[in-house]
Amino acid sequence: MGDLFVWLIAFFILIALLVIVIFQLMALADLEFDYINPYDSSSRINKVILPEYITEGVLCLFFLITGHWCMSLLCIPYLYYNVRLYTQRQHLVDVTEIFNMLSWEKKQRLFKLGYLIVLLFLSIFWMILTALEDSDYD
Amino acid sequence: MGTENPGRPNFPMTASPFAAAPPPTATPFSASGPVVGSEASGFRPQAQPPQNAMPSMSSGPVVGPQASGYRPNSLPARFNDPPVISPPTAYVPPIGGPPFQRYPTPQFPSVHQTPPPRAPPIGQPPFQPPAGQVPSQASFHPQPQVHSVPMGSPPSRANDLQLPSDSSSFAPRANFQPPFSSMDSSYSAPKASLQPPLPGYVKQANSVSQAPSMAPFHAQQGSYAAPIPAPPPPYHPQQGGFSQPPPIAAPFGFHSRDQIQHPGSAPPIGGIQGLAEDFGSLSIGAVPGTIDSGLDPKALPRPLDGDAEPNLLGEAYSMNCNPRYLRLTTSAIPSSQSLLSRWHCPLGAVVCPLAEAPEGEEVPVINFVSTGIIRCRRCRTYVNPYVTFTDSGRKWRCNICALLNDVPGDYFAQLDATGRRIDLNQRPELIKGSVDFVAPTEYMVRPPMPPLYFFLIDVSVSAVRSGMIEVVAQTIRSCLDELPGFPRTQVGFITFDSTIHFYNMKSSLTQPQMMVVSDLDDIFVPLPDDLLVNLSESRPVVEAFLDSLPSMFLDNVNMESALGPAVKAAFMVMNKLGGKLLIFQNTMPSLGVGRLRLRGDDLRVYGTDKEHALRIPEDPFYKNMAAECTKYQIGVNVYAFSDKYIDIASLGALAKYSGGQIYYYPSFQSASHGEKLRHELARDLTRETAWEAVMRVRCGKGIRFSSYHGNFMLRSTDLLALPAVDCDKAYGAQLSLEETLLTSQTVYFQVALLYPFEQNYVKLILHLSFIHLLLFMEVVLTIKRYTASCGERRIRVHTAAVPVVTDLGEMYRHADTGAIVSLFARLAIEKSLSHKLEDSRSSVQLRIVKALREFRNLHAVQHRLGGRMIYPESLKLLPLYGLALSKSAALRGGYTDVQLDDRCAVGFTMMALPVNKLLKLLYPSLIRVDEYLLKPSAQTDEFKNIMKKLPLTAESLDSRGLYVYDDGFRFVLWFGRMLSPDLAMNLLGQDAAVEFSKVALGKHDTEMSRKLMGVLRKLRETDSSYYQLCNLVRQGEQPREGFFLLTNFVEDQIGGTSGYSEWMVQIHRQVQQSA
Repeated sequence: MGDLFVWLIAFFILIALLVIVIFQLMALADLEFDYINPYDSSSRINKVILPEYITEGVLCLFFLITGHWCMSLLCIPYLYYNVRLYTQRQHLVDVTEIFNMLSWEKKQRLFKLGYLIVLLFLSIFWMILTALEDSDYD
Repeated sequence: MGTENPGRPNFPMTASPFAAAPPPTATPFSASGPVVGSEASGFRPQAQPPQNAMPSMSSGPVVGPQASGYRPNSLPARFNDPPVISPPTAYVPPIGGPPFQRYPTPQFPSVHQTPPPRAPPIGQPPFQPPAGQVPSQASFHPQPQVHSVPMGSPPSRANDLQLPSDSSSFAPRANFQPPFSSMDSSYSAPKASLQPPLPGYVKQANSVSQAPSMAPFHAQQGSYAAPIPAPPPPYHPQQGGFSQPPPIAAPFGFHSRDQIQHPGSAPPIGGIQGLAEDFGSLSIGAVPGTIDSGLDPKALPRPLDGDAEPNLLGEAYSMNCNPRYLRLTTSAIPSSQSLLSRWHCPLGAVVCPLAEAPEGEEVPVINFVSTGIIRCRRCRTYVNPYVTFTDSGRKWRCNICALLNDVPGDYFAQLDATGRRIDLNQRPELIKGSVDFVAPTEYMVRPPMPPLYFFLIDVSVSAVRSGMIEVVAQTIRSCLDELPGFPRTQVGFITFDSTIHFYNMKSSLTQPQMMVVSDLDDIFVPLPDDLLVNLSESRPVVEAFLDSLPSMFLDNVNMESALGPAVKAAFMVMNKLGGKLLIFQNTMPSLGVGRLRLRGDDLRVYGTDKEHALRIPEDPFYKNMAAECTKYQIGVNVYAFSDKYIDIASLGALAKYSGGQIYYYPSFQSASHGEKLRHELARDLTRETAWEAVMRVRCGKGIRFSSYHGNFMLRSTDLLALPAVDCDKAYGAQLSLEETLLTSQTVYFQVALLYPFEQNYVKLILHLSFIHLLLFMEVVLTIKRYTASCGERRIRVHTAAVPVVTDLGEMYRHADTGAIVSLFARLAIEKSLSHKLEDSRSSVQLRIVKALREFRNLHAVQHRLGGRMIYPESLKLLPLYGLALSKSAALRGGYTDVQLDDRCAVGFTMMALPVNKLLKLLYPSLIRVDEYLLKPSAQTDEFKNIMKKLPLTAESLDSRGLYVYDDGFRFVLWFGRMLSPDLAMNLLGQDAAVEFSKVALGKHDTEMSRKLMGVLRKLRETDSSYYQLCNLVRQGEQPREGFFLLTNFVEDQIGGTSGYSEWMVQIHRQVQQSA
């Protein structure tokens, strides 16, 4: 039964991450179509970048603690990428160069999105599997 | 030039490049036909003869051979014989037939705004309101009547527009004509005969549908012809009533079939000469028996006559704005993506919206008081010379989106017989490419702010010692009268070292009050107002402050500098009004936010992948601060003085992203550099400045500006925020095609750019659209400028029309080296911020090689080129400037060659320089003056003679001479070793014997000295944006000679870089490698 909760929690964390990444993508798209100015766009994005990184770290740690090594391992490239950006101090969006970086920033976030969706499906799969096993067990 | 270089024997160069080209012997007609049809290779030389044979062709545009496949098919089949042979009478029948019937359709539409499928001509509505405009088809339906009207009274303006657009020669008459002439009778009563036109139109439409595949080809050909400056005769007659077939036929034939080309309307005098005009060639290649390359250094092209502004488009585009405002890298826009991909130079523009106009050519100011500014209601285009008036003057057709707009009652004027407005001459906006509109109040969100100058002055010990404060204070004081905007001008001052000093300069005080804030972490402004004062009210206080400023800090021993907090404080004071912030910084910021550390002293970093990090701001504070400043309309100019590292890369970011400028004075001493600072600061304070400017660049469908390069911040994808823009700043932009234009002919413009109706700022709008293969470009700059008592806002509009071509040769012919080099420089400098210097240098070289290779491929087949190097005449200087660029201080060598700060400062400067100044910096002038000085009498007309520029190589220097080197930023006066001591004595007096590094050139009471000063003054007058300080150098005096002069001789081999001839050989080899 505990395992099911683990997957459920992981599921919600992943949903949260997805929301954050999508939010950033929306801010970038709005900027591209001129709905908001670069100041607002970059401040919105920068506000959620650290939460995103922390949540991701928490997810990775969570998998590690609960003994799901495989999933934890799967999270590591993402985490590593984030940490690397952070240590190079390139994690924040630069308002002065945002238009030149726009395509790159979008691509980067789209990849993250795809990555998260894969993780999400995996955890849903595990969740269902666990649930079925539990019910079988019963 | 004078001295011989033993290592480089001069081989006779084949002066006439085309000696090999077959003489035009063939009989014109018989020869040309088959050739074109059969193979592209031979046809160029041979097709030449016809030109000679037929005088009437003199205007025949010359089009380079076209590589693309369509042409062999289409040409021989249809155009070959008729054109050339066709005598005047024949012009309709032979050509007419089906092919032409097709033409008319595309054409008519444009005039009459009809046909949905052939939409091409109709420009796109760049400004389409978000609400979803009715696209082409929809708008088209209700228009039957509209058609008839324009046709009935053939509007001359329409013709004007059209003809150029449509392939000068052949569309107009061949296509256009049949329809018109046939309808003429029926149309004479415009409104009455509504029916005829429609059937006619339908018929044409049918024919189009029948042979759809062919149509595009035609169109293409038509388009490439366009660039040729349409010779007036063909057009005007047409307006008159479409008579005069004869001239028409000839050019037409010419055109379509032989792609040979003559630049412009130059009469084809001889085949060889014609070709020679087309491109230049150099014979390169080892002469048997020698190792050295057989290249005559003297024959290499050099810009010794100065930069010639391109004016290639000729009469049809005479209403374009002057190239000083807008220079395109090529005045022929490629019609397709594939063509663009073969154009390896950047495609774009360099815009200098406020360039200084010479006396008598000022931009006219237009005030539409009663009508408001006339703009297209759909795409917001400003009324310009290329709009056409129809319906006897009641409507005007937008040249960008082809929408028919009503002419406001107060703006109405009758049309004359040719369709021109009778008041044309009183309407500068309808004849001039550049105009200023006075913007009415609805263009402003907030009332114009008073011009504001805020000075942020470093008063730490090094600033005191160098004498900077004194010079600055004196200069500001002397400029108080000339600050723009009297009597509304506001000024404010902050000085700082480890603390920040505010000054209360309320008009009721007699002496300024100083307030010191020492809490750097939590900056606050001690007074709510009175820190910014109206200059005219507080003049005595301000003067008292400036008088006492130098002495106030004389005893200051504080070495720290809290620049970051000081900038924040200034920002807090200024952010309600915006304005110009001038920062005078003398040491590296060491306290508070934005403190910097010594970078670049670790030699191991250089040459590695981490090197570029030294050229970008270390602390994000500076970028963010600049962004904030831009947001609040504050433009920052940074004056940096230091004998040590001061991190220009970081400080410069403040100026770069706020549309400002960086001035760098290494090891500033007021005694020697004071004059330069004085002049440049005064220029900065008094030059024409536009405040709160916003420059918008937008385009129609199929083409858009994809990137911008220069000092500004983008506020949205195409909106450049320029808090303070002046005449010394230029901006580069690159164009990209979003789709091939040929398809865009059939698709309506669909760009719907969402954007607030009118903003208060200045906007520079580039509308691009295609009206029948003609590209209109409009640059609109709205600036707010201050007049006597209250602010008024203006909109500066630059309009230019550029043809779209399908032929690469045409693009080369209309290329503008200056604009290309300017964009190359900007791109290379930007690249150096994220890559190694080596990479950005080689990227420049690679693009030049690719461009020349493409050109070679274009011409290699018909002319047996052998080992010769060929290049387009228009780009003959490109390799030299490319070399100069890679040797410029911004990109040269490695760590040891240029100090990091120098490199960054030059880089920032080059990013903002207008084209002509950049070219001068890249290839400075070297002038010999001793002969002039020694001549007994100096007449003024002699002046031109002595201004003879010499090639920039050490060989030009004669040890008996005295030379002036001028790169626009400094002079170097070079004294030859064997120069008569007399002359030196005369010029320098007692100083002649002293070491030159300590000597400043001063006036002496001798004739020679006066003459020399006259020369220098003249040189300075040619460009007053910077002040050239004079450095004296003796021959052989190292290292100064090397530093000031020898490293800047771009044609010489310096420290492992190649010289000019080696460079050419190198480029030539690379061109050939995969040619």
